[in-house]
Amino acid sequence: MAWSVSFAQPVPYAQGLAMQYRLLQARQDGAIPDTVLILQHTPVVTLGNRGRDNYLLKSEEGYRAIGIELHHAERGGDVTFHGPGQWVLYPILHLGDSLTDSHGYLNNLEEIAICALGDYGIHGFRRAGKSGAWTDAGKIAAIGFRLKKWVSFHGMSFNVCNDLSGFQTIVPCGLVGEPVATMKTILGSACPPLERVRDSLLNHFSTVCNRDLERYDADGKLPPALESLVLGLGM
Amino acid sequence: MLIPQDLFYSKTHEWVSLDGDVATVGISDFAQSQLSDLTFVELPDVGTDFSVGDEAAVVESVKAAADVYAPVSGEVVAVNADLEESPELINQDPYGKGWLFKIRISEESELDAMLDADSYEDLCPGA
Repeated sequence: MAWSVSFAQPVPYAQGLAMQYRLLQARQDGAIPDTVLILQHTPVVTLGNRGRDNYLLKSEEGYRAIGIELHHAERGGDVTFHGPGQWVLYPILHLGDSLTDSHGYLNNLEEIAICALGDYGIHGFRRAGKSGAWTDAGKIAAIGFRLKKWVSFHGMSFNVCNDLSGFQTIVPCGLVGEPVATMKTILGSACPPLERVRDSLLNHFSTVCNRDLERYDADGKLPPALESLVLGLGM
Repeated sequence: MLIPQDLFYSKTHEWVSLDGDVATVGISDFAQSQLSDLTFVELPDVGTDFSVGDEAAVVESVKAAADVYAPVSGEVVAVNADLEESPELINQDPYGKGWLFKIRISEESELDAMLDADSYEDLCPGA
């Protein structure tokens, strides 16, 4: 059994990160089962561990002026952008607890994205040497995670209907000249509502990672063990 | 999944081989396979004192970063400098050329708490 917590309103990056650290500690201590957060962030550019500043096309002040925060995150992966209309999946999983974990966590995250795209008739695929989920129109899902005591945090972002202009302020994942796409780029007005895509991502998470999910909303009733961990969002 | 019989293992997927009072430490085949192709390794400084369970190193692939913990207490007496240029050695040969660091063990009894190959195999699904 695992839990998921979904957030209806975009979460500022720093608050989301603090929440992940609380959940990470609780998972390492065995106080909670594997738990997946699914949320949107307010506009933010984040750099991974090896993130190089030269992939930022603006100064810190320049980002602030257009309402984009800048954060360094201790995850794998390079620079990326998060904003409303993009789902971010933060699985706090103890890797090794399920047989499917032996397929590799990176591979499993990619599989979740590709299957979710498939639900809406979009052909998603992997590209050798370039992680994430790709479509003919460009990259839709970006991955960067960290393991502490073999519990994962950070994870994957998945573009549904977000404004892509934020990506124009960076060189996403350090991949020069590679386009970024959203489901809406491909489907136009046929793009499904965000909530449906969230449910698709959670369905495929459950299947691919072989974990039964009890689903919760952050602003609804939560299991007692989660209440204090998810609190502090001012929501 | 390769799990040599003659090594000690930790629940956090480090392995230890013993030569006198010096423990060579690396990460297991299961661990390297979870991270895919490693691109960077942050090693401790020689002379650092670790207690068992301390964060001792970080291994990173393009999209992942994982902490490596000191499986035993003691002083770091050597690090595998080859990994700076060739972190992929960990993927290619996790129990050989991909070793991370050596610790002079201060508490030999800590080895009793480590797992043998059979117990460790039970921890690795699909191994």
